[in-house]
Amino acid sequence: MQSQFIAGRPMSGNTRHSGRATPGSARPGGAPNADLRVLLRAMRYVSHYRWIAFLAYGSLFFATAAQLMVPQLIQTIIDTVVQAFIATQILKMPALVQSAAAQRMGKTIADLQATQNGFTSAILFAMLAILGFAILRAIFSFSQTYNAERVSQNIAYDFRRDLFAKIQRLSFSYHDRNQTGQLMIRATDDVEKLRLFLGQGLVMALQALVLLVGTLIILWFTNHALTLIVLPILPIALIVFMVFGALTQPLFRQVQIRISALNTILQENLAGLKVVKAFAREPQEHARFERAADDLLEQQLRVARTFSFLMPVIFLIANLGQAAVMYFGGQQIIGGTLTLGEWQKFSLYLIYVFFPMGQLGFIINLMSQAAASAQRIFEILDTQNEVEDKPGAIELKEVQGYVRFDDVTFRYFKGGEPVLSHVSFEAKPGQTVALLGATGSGKTTIINLIPRFYDVTDGRVLIDGHDVRDVTIASLRAHIGIVLQETTLFSGTIRDNIAFGKPNASMDEVIAAAQAAAAHEFIMEFPQGYDTPVGERGSTLSGGQKQRIAIARALLLNPRILILDDSTSSVDLATEYRIQQALKELMKGRTSFVIAQRVSTVLNADQILVLDKGQIVARGTHEELLESSELYAEIYSSQLVGDFDEAPEMMQARAGVVL
Amino acid sequence: MMMQHGRDMALRAEARKPVAASATLARFWVYFRRYWYILLAVVVLLVVSTYMQVLTPNLTGQVVDCYLTPATEKLMGGSASSNLPGIPPITSTNCWYAHLSPQATAADYLAGLGGLILLIVGLFVASSVLTGLQFYLMTYSGQKVLRNLRVAVFDHIHRLSLGYFSKHEAGDVMTRITVDADTIQQAITFPLVSLMQGLLLIVWVAFTMLTTSPIYAVISLLVTPLMFFATSWFSDQARKAFRQVRSAVGDVNANLQESFSAVREAQAFNREEENIQNFNESNAASRDASIRATAFTSALSPTLEALGYVSMAIVAGVGGLFLLGGQNLLGETMSLGLIIAFLGYTQRFNQPISQISVMWTNIQSAIAGAERIFGLLDTEPDLVDSPGARPMPPIQGRVEFIHVDAEYEPGEAVLHDVNFVAEPGQMVAIVGPTGAGKTTIANLIPRFYDVKTGAVKIDGIDVREVTAASLRAQIGIVLQDPFLFSDTVMENIRYGKPHATDDEVIAAAKLARADTFIERLPEGYHTKLGERGGGLSQGQRQLISIARAALADPRILILDEATSSVDTRTERLIQKALEELLHGRTSIVIAHRLSTIRHADQVLVLRGGQIIERGKHDELLKARGFYYDLYMSQFRRDIDFAETDSAPPVTAAIGK
Repeated sequence: MQSQFIAGRPMSGNTRHSGRATPGSARPGGAPNADLRVLLRAMRYVSHYRWIAFLAYGSLFFATAAQLMVPQLIQTIIDTVVQAFIATQILKMPALVQSAAAQRMGKTIADLQATQNGFTSAILFAMLAILGFAILRAIFSFSQTYNAERVSQNIAYDFRRDLFAKIQRLSFSYHDRNQTGQLMIRATDDVEKLRLFLGQGLVMALQALVLLVGTLIILWFTNHALTLIVLPILPIALIVFMVFGALTQPLFRQVQIRISALNTILQENLAGLKVVKAFAREPQEHARFERAADDLLEQQLRVARTFSFLMPVIFLIANLGQAAVMYFGGQQIIGGTLTLGEWQKFSLYLIYVFFPMGQLGFIINLMSQAAASAQRIFEILDTQNEVEDKPGAIELKEVQGYVRFDDVTFRYFKGGEPVLSHVSFEAKPGQTVALLGATGSGKTTIINLIPRFYDVTDGRVLIDGHDVRDVTIASLRAHIGIVLQETTLFSGTIRDNIAFGKPNASMDEVIAAAQAAAAHEFIMEFPQGYDTPVGERGSTLSGGQKQRIAIARALLLNPRILILDDSTSSVDLATEYRIQQALKELMKGRTSFVIAQRVSTVLNADQILVLDKGQIVARGTHEELLESSELYAEIYSSQLVGDFDEAPEMMQARAGVVL
Repeated sequence: MMMQHGRDMALRAEARKPVAASATLARFWVYFRRYWYILLAVVVLLVVSTYMQVLTPNLTGQVVDCYLTPATEKLMGGSASSNLPGIPPITSTNCWYAHLSPQATAADYLAGLGGLILLIVGLFVASSVLTGLQFYLMTYSGQKVLRNLRVAVFDHIHRLSLGYFSKHEAGDVMTRITVDADTIQQAITFPLVSLMQGLLLIVWVAFTMLTTSPIYAVISLLVTPLMFFATSWFSDQARKAFRQVRSAVGDVNANLQESFSAVREAQAFNREEENIQNFNESNAASRDASIRATAFTSALSPTLEALGYVSMAIVAGVGGLFLLGGQNLLGETMSLGLIIAFLGYTQRFNQPISQISVMWTNIQSAIAGAERIFGLLDTEPDLVDSPGARPMPPIQGRVEFIHVDAEYEPGEAVLHDVNFVAEPGQMVAIVGPTGAGKTTIANLIPRFYDVKTGAVKIDGIDVREVTAASLRAQIGIVLQDPFLFSDTVMENIRYGKPHATDDEVIAAAKLARADTFIERLPEGYHTKLGERGGGLSQGQRQLISIARAALADPRILILDEATSSVDTRTERLIQKALEELLHGRTSIVIAHRLSTIRHADQVLVLRGGQIIERGKHDELLKARGFYYDLYMSQFRRDIDFAETDSAPPVTAAIGK
């Protein structure tokens, strides 16, 4: 799963604060206890799927048992062969020698005859048994892996679901502090790491332990002395595996970094090819790319060197174990304390001692990563949402549209600079309030406080006399429509985008809204009309079209209170005129708050608030302010764009004058 | 776990089947040929280490036959059975060391055993060293090849004309180079060595078994075809299943990306619950697809393992039965050592099959990836310097279009019979509706495309007669959507003139009116920009790109005026900067602003690829032709702008 996100995407228009503190990005303290605690907490997610987990773990025991049976049965075959062979030899001997030989083996002639006659069935039986166990092994091993995957995928689903729901609901201030890319990584990479550990790592760890213990028990009962020779290999193998993991992980991380550096250059050369060619910069770009390619090569070779050294060492350790068993086992055979079959069995079981060590080493590495991921995930899930319905919040039903700011002070951070201080004003139902001020003066903050995207630090925001904190957030926002300068459209059809705030709106309602927003006409020009899919971030539509869809979206809600940014992207005159008309239509009869960019808005406003450094420094109508406020005059002349409020014929006439 | 994990990863990777594998492999060889000596060393090492691996079971067999069995018999029978007439020895006589005499003591056996084990240990050590060396050498050459391939592709992109990329999605090309190179990367080192070693081992072991005891060998290998069948069937199914997984995971990621980045809109419109619902649908689809796909990957490993057990049962059982049934298997002599040796062989035979099965999809995908990369490399550049091209002499600035016809697709003319002359220092404004061919004119001057017929001449020299690099070095271009690199502001401006000093860069920024905002950035000129200039507004990016062109100090300037909205103050800054920049240079401007057109020495009105009107703004308006209509519908919104530029705006507004 490749995940490449553009970090540092410019934040959307209504974000002011850009503190880049990402509390989730730091590796947690790393204390083993803390790791364990967070993993135990994560394990609670497994308990939702305890029956599937039970299947996986249950299968594990049977699969491992079947696996352990096979070398045992192969030993049986070999021992049977040897016994039967010797019996045959002895039975072929002269009678006198026969009984002496039999006695030496501690058996009677009858025993030997039985062995000789029974070997065929004994061997066939053992073969059939191996076949049976092989099938059992296959079935249970499949069931173990498959069910472990089911558990792990379900856990991943749950984590993603919970993360998504939480992030969707976290207030603006949280999103101001955390970047989309970071959150994406939480919901993808971190969930994936945790999934691998909880769903598969744990099963594997248990399997490794069961296999290891089972093997050691069998070996112990087969031959004590030989088992003692095998034991010292275990810690060595485990250490080597852990070292292996610890050494290679940072190397691979570095490889990833260099690959993405390389890809960035490539990406830029593709997207900016015209610039590269225009400035004839191919040689420099070539050198830059070559440098990055060499860096990558160098790192890859570093990885290769580590692997070329460590991998053979691991296999050598396993093989030396084999050789030790061969020698000391052989010694015992010569001494008569071990049979050939047992000897063969030992060397077969030895693989089962070694592999679990590798698995455990791997899982230990996985564990620390999973703990770090779990830590980051829970950090999000545990975040206290700063804006929440308070207990007993009432439903805001009918709204007149009376909005009042009562001595409002707002800080993004506790102890930070106030972004708004002691702001008071009121807007009567149906009034238009124009907000004016330099960047950073607090305009956006005011409009963000009305739908309670943030909570005030001091003072109150009242709608029809209700403090916005006393009503449910959903009912509050249902009465407020928002049209921003940078319109975000979503992948889906045009219809979906208009009905964004009211998904169950009827087609008639959607069309009516589109008509009022002067969008119906261009929508119908698309072959698929309202069902036209909108590309990512609305790429198939022009700026003016997007804006009209945003207006239609707000109109459909039929809100009592309206918040908008009246700037329009540069579109042709006719469209601009239509957008202005649509906005006018939209504002009719609603309490409107407009971040004013154009002359016509301030001219038509019932009230203009001039903001400076978080305070209202002047208020009144256009005429009043022109007289009284210097700042207003300055802003008016430097920031507002003139527009055409007149009918097209008028404009033509005026154009003539200009010429 | 590691195996299982690796298998999942392998199957999850872009899994496709190659079309013409052998041709692609041959192409690869061209890249590998430079490192033939390394490959030769790898092959030698491979053969030696494989020989060692094959030798080990043989030696183990000898341990049994030459020391352990005789010792056992001695324990039981008091004497080796061979001294009894008519009874063949239980062991074969394939011993490297002298056969010990019947009088040998336990100590003699042990000493002999020790010697043989030492030999085996020596083999293990040597084979480890060889394996490590072999892996490193293979990786070394593989990574070098991959690096050269990457650079070759990169260079080829530069050779291709803009025309290629207007027909092919840049994203598609990007995928080829990143994803395909990555799949090759994953296959080129470890899997490649394993594959080679595995194949060699399989062949060698099979050969050894067949020469040692053909019939026993055939019986031992009975299960093998089933293993191949299982591998190919499960891999195919998994490949199909993972294709669905990829698309489901893609949906989840797209949904996450969209919802997280637009979370404010969602809250503003009370859409949280709806979005959560939607997300959970794609979340569940991804989960279910993954689980389905895992069914196949989970089954492959146990199947192969079970088949491995069955083959061991056959080796031990059938071997044992025939050994006891007269020490002969259809004429071949059996021995206990042979059975032990064959058990070892079988293990060594099955293991690489498992390994290869893990990597099979990986290798197939890599070949398919290479196929696509070679496909890209095979694209002929359609725009190259002509054989006798000379460097463009210092440009005076006369631009001339002579009966120019141009087309992107054969038969679809974009420009037809375009003629005009821009004298040095003149400003030519090109206006016209979308699709009229404005951008094409701009593209022909630095020879981003070639004309179909006619000629584009600069100072009387056809642009096709000079090298593209020398031509473009003297032409400045400011694009509508300025492209910035993820580097510092300083370097982004310096892009226009690689060896410019910092002072020159700063001077250019001043000229472009970009210095004010740059100085306010956290680290001034040394602020690193995000991808594609992330962190800057559209207007700021435009100012930087103007500074870049100013630094290049070209004689000819091509300008595509921005239409996207920037705030009024920046807009004015940009205007001022451009005015300064255009001064004294020949400029071709794709005009969207009234002020530009008014200042132009010549306005070309394009429609349907032809110049239908030309002249100065005032003359054209008076003519009341197409330009007049166009002006009325397109440029009028600038009028107020022009007004506020000249007259005090407050009074203008009051005067309404």
